[in-house]
Amino acid sequence: MNKFENAVEVLKNNLADAIVEFRVPKPRKAYILLKPERHRDAISLLLKHVENAELSTITGTDLGNEIELNYHMACGGTVTLKNRVSREKPVIRTITDILPGANLYEREVFDLLGVIFVGHPNLKRLMLPENWPKGNYPLRRDWEPHANQESGSNSEETSQKESAGELDDAGSIINVVVGPQHPVLHEPERFSFKVDGETVVDVEMRLGYVHRGIEKAAERMMFFQDVFLVERICGICNAAHTTCFCQAVEDIGNIDTPPRALYLRTIIHELNRVHSHLLLLGVAGHLLGFEALFQHVWRDREPIMDLVERITGNRLMSGFNTIGGVRRDLGPNIVAKARKNVEEVRKRAKFYKTVFEEDLTLRLRTEGIGVLSKSDALKLCVAGPVARGSGIAVDVRKDDPYAAYGEIPFNVICYKECDTWARLMVRAEEVLESLDIIDYALSHIPGGRLRVRVQRKQPEGEAVSRVEAPRGELIHYVKSDGTAYPYRVKVRSPTLANLVAFPEIIRGAYIADIPAVIGSLDPCFSCTDRMVFLDTQKGQRWHWSLDEVNNSKNRNGLI
Amino acid sequence: MAKRRRLPALIKDVGLCIFKKPFTREYPAVKVEVPEGYRGRHIFYPDKCISCGLCERDCPANAIELVEVSGKRMPMFYLDRCIFCYQCAESCPREAIKLSTNFEMATTEKKGMLITPEEFISKQKVTPDEGKQHVA
Amino acid sequence: MALDLIFIVRALVFPGFLFLLVLVLFFDWFERKVAARFQNRMGPSYTGPFGILQPIADYIKLFSKEDITPKQTNKLLFVAAPILAFSLFVFALFFIPIDGSNVILNSSFEGDLILVLLLVTLANFGIFLSGWASLNPYSEIGATRVLTQFLGYDIPLIILAICPAFLAKSLSLVNITASQSIPFALLIPWSCVLFVIVLQAELEKDPFDIPHAETEIVGGYETEYSGRKLAFIKLSEDFQFLIGAALVTELFLGGSYGPVLFGMPELWYVFWFMVKTIGVAFFLEYVGNVSARLRIDQVVHGNWKLLIPLSILSLALTVIVEPLLRSVIG
Repeated sequence: MNKFENAVEVLKNNLADAIVEFRVPKPRKAYILLKPERHRDAISLLLKHVENAELSTITGTDLGNEIELNYHMACGGTVTLKNRVSREKPVIRTITDILPGANLYEREVFDLLGVIFVGHPNLKRLMLPENWPKGNYPLRRDWEPHANQESGSNSEETSQKESAGELDDAGSIINVVVGPQHPVLHEPERFSFKVDGETVVDVEMRLGYVHRGIEKAAERMMFFQDVFLVERICGICNAAHTTCFCQAVEDIGNIDTPPRALYLRTIIHELNRVHSHLLLLGVAGHLLGFEALFQHVWRDREPIMDLVERITGNRLMSGFNTIGGVRRDLGPNIVAKARKNVEEVRKRAKFYKTVFEEDLTLRLRTEGIGVLSKSDALKLCVAGPVARGSGIAVDVRKDDPYAAYGEIPFNVICYKECDTWARLMVRAEEVLESLDIIDYALSHIPGGRLRVRVQRKQPEGEAVSRVEAPRGELIHYVKSDGTAYPYRVKVRSPTLANLVAFPEIIRGAYIADIPAVIGSLDPCFSCTDRMVFLDTQKGQRWHWSLDEVNNSKNRNGLI
Repeated sequence: MAKRRRLPALIKDVGLCIFKKPFTREYPAVKVEVPEGYRGRHIFYPDKCISCGLCERDCPANAIELVEVSGKRMPMFYLDRCIFCYQCAESCPREAIKLSTNFEMATTEKKGMLITPEEFISKQKVTPDEGKQHVA
Repeated sequence: MALDLIFIVRALVFPGFLFLLVLVLFFDWFERKVAARFQNRMGPSYTGPFGILQPIADYIKLFSKEDITPKQTNKLLFVAAPILAFSLFVFALFFIPIDGSNVILNSSFEGDLILVLLLVTLANFGIFLSGWASLNPYSEIGATRVLTQFLGYDIPLIILAICPAFLAKSLSLVNITASQSIPFALLIPWSCVLFVIVLQAELEKDPFDIPHAETEIVGGYETEYSGRKLAFIKLSEDFQFLIGAALVTELFLGGSYGPVLFGMPELWYVFWFMVKTIGVAFFLEYVGNVSARLRIDQVVHGNWKLLIPLSILSLALTVIVEPLLRSVIG
């Protein structure tokens, strides 16, 4: 029996008294409603009996007089454990002691829905700004924007007060402000590092600077319009997001996607993966100071972009998937062009793989740095190349096949070194693997329709969908109430899963290694942001940009 | 997985780049070929339009507004809101909206961001080929 | 009389200040174009044919920008430090023979090699002062970084510079170049290779790019400078590059000496000097483009644990080999 069936059996046998409702509507997707406060038992059981079980995310849904918390566990398929708390007093016990990787997810639900997780080590806001008025929970159904315009205290004061709390163990503070606008910021995010000499002791992250409220916006648009909204969550993994969302809605509506569409989806998905990994290899070169590698890799990425443009009409925002199939077809001359481009890129990708394996300066900067052991990686529920670089062979395309992956043979790339180098090598090899998948798919596309006609209204129901985005496992949860508008859309992108591991990885490393480690995590909202440093010995505090961190050294008497 | 650290092939590769032509092109001095099917500026056929309003309703970005021109209600496109998904072209029951490969839509005035139906009324016999524009 | 026409022309026009300025701007363009071609892109192309006027355009732009002085700095230091660094670099170039003799005629003496190296070190101290006078933590970090890297690598630089001086039995640059009937790069290649590596660190190029990576993005010691003063700092960096390349040419490649075909020998000397220096610049750029940036602790360890012992070994080897080469050098 496979992992999923094993997980389901384990729960049925040992928790029969706690299960209120049990549904397996589609292969490898189980939805189990538990009695209140029994979620901890269920999760502990799954962790004990199922190999490599991880928590994908925690979704909170406002059901009117109750708030439902879905714990989506990845065990070969997706087992969703549901737990309901009352809306007036939404309190539930935390699972961070069993599974530290749930830290950020619980903070997010607390922030946006107001559920209190008892026992959470650090229940603070995650996405919304510090001066967001209390009691205002945007994801609740009755919340309207502009309803409450009074903000809390001035943000400047609040952030200083908050930061003052962080610096209890530091003496006098020298505050150097870099400001939200900074030439080095790619996308904003904030890390507060606690530093002892030049070694990092701890780090605290502040996310949410580009939180756009997409989940709330998705409730106001129809399902097929939401496909475009979801696509714009991330430019680089846009095909993954649309594939995931369309799959979820197709599950809810029992829509049979034609096989030709599945193959075409797979091709675009893999093209996305190739271009994303090549992008990261270039960016890793740039972060490590290797400009020539950066420019060369991005030059060799161009055939892929041209191919995507030819197939879908745009280099980045493909707009290819829709509910029920795909929007465009692949004619025979496009197929020929695709094969040519794939061959070009394959030659160069092989070359870059050897560069990363052999170049002396690159290896000096990445080997043995940023180590994340296999057991830590499992506890923190990391996803994608970060997990595979630590020896955990988990890949949604193999564990829970979707689109055409059930029929296409490929390998899951796994490295055991657990360091930055391994994470970069996983991606370099995955490029080659993806190119092979594209070749196979191009030769085996079945004929038939491109899409089926889909109604605007979807029946009542819910569905979870997982795909392997370039950065890891991406999960969408869609709940429909029978209208043309979704009731709840929840997206957890893989970067969030990997960021949880960042403090673990960076603890004990030099400050100068931070850019390399961040690069290897491949954050989709690139966190080359300013970082607050706290020198616990000297009680000093200053802000640096990523490139200054790049060049930090032994700093006795630096400031 | 320690491979022998030889002198990497990158040294040779980067060095030989000196003799290659640059990969970057001197746009706009050099023409840029855009593939057919690129989602560019909209083309609208006023005589096919039946004023059903499906384009306005289905646009994910609220970028279409029906305005009255010469007694008929026809769509006006807000290019600054448009996400170029072409849902409007798909939703239109009479194929009155088509796409072109014109990607040069930069303008210095606000009204350059609006595509009004009047623009297409004077060109009654617009054919799809006219949509393909290259850099002049 | 020292102050006659020839002196003025030589000091200010050719091969003095103006000529050096044009040469430096040319090297700036050359660096950027070569780096771009290594990265398979175009580099400067629009200003002038092949973009050769780009550095001039950049400096004109800098001169036309607003020049801000922070309120609380020591104004004298803030203004004087970049100019000090700049003048020291230019003065150091006066002692490198470009057309066969120094800029100020008959001013070469035994020991002007040491003088050049001293002036360059002092000029870097001026750069440090300019960062330190800015009262900005970024500038302080950048300035300290520059000084540490430069002073650290100065030691192997001087040791390695002594090797050709030892072979030529003279510390005067004019004499060193004159005694290179066969370029020293062929006679003592180990010194040449190590010297080039150490020079990469001195000039803060990849793989020792650390101070520059931050100065490009945040500013480092340049953070608070704008307008004219920033132009001086940038010119200083470019002059330093020219000095570095010129030193390699003088010490290892035979300086300005080469086949004189017709006409005035001085012009040919200048020509050969430029050809060789451009070749060195090309090579430095190449090395820079095929390596990633090392971490600062790796740079510092590399210096103290690797380069200094190697440079001492190289000097020892040169001393041992010298009698064998005596017949060749004559």
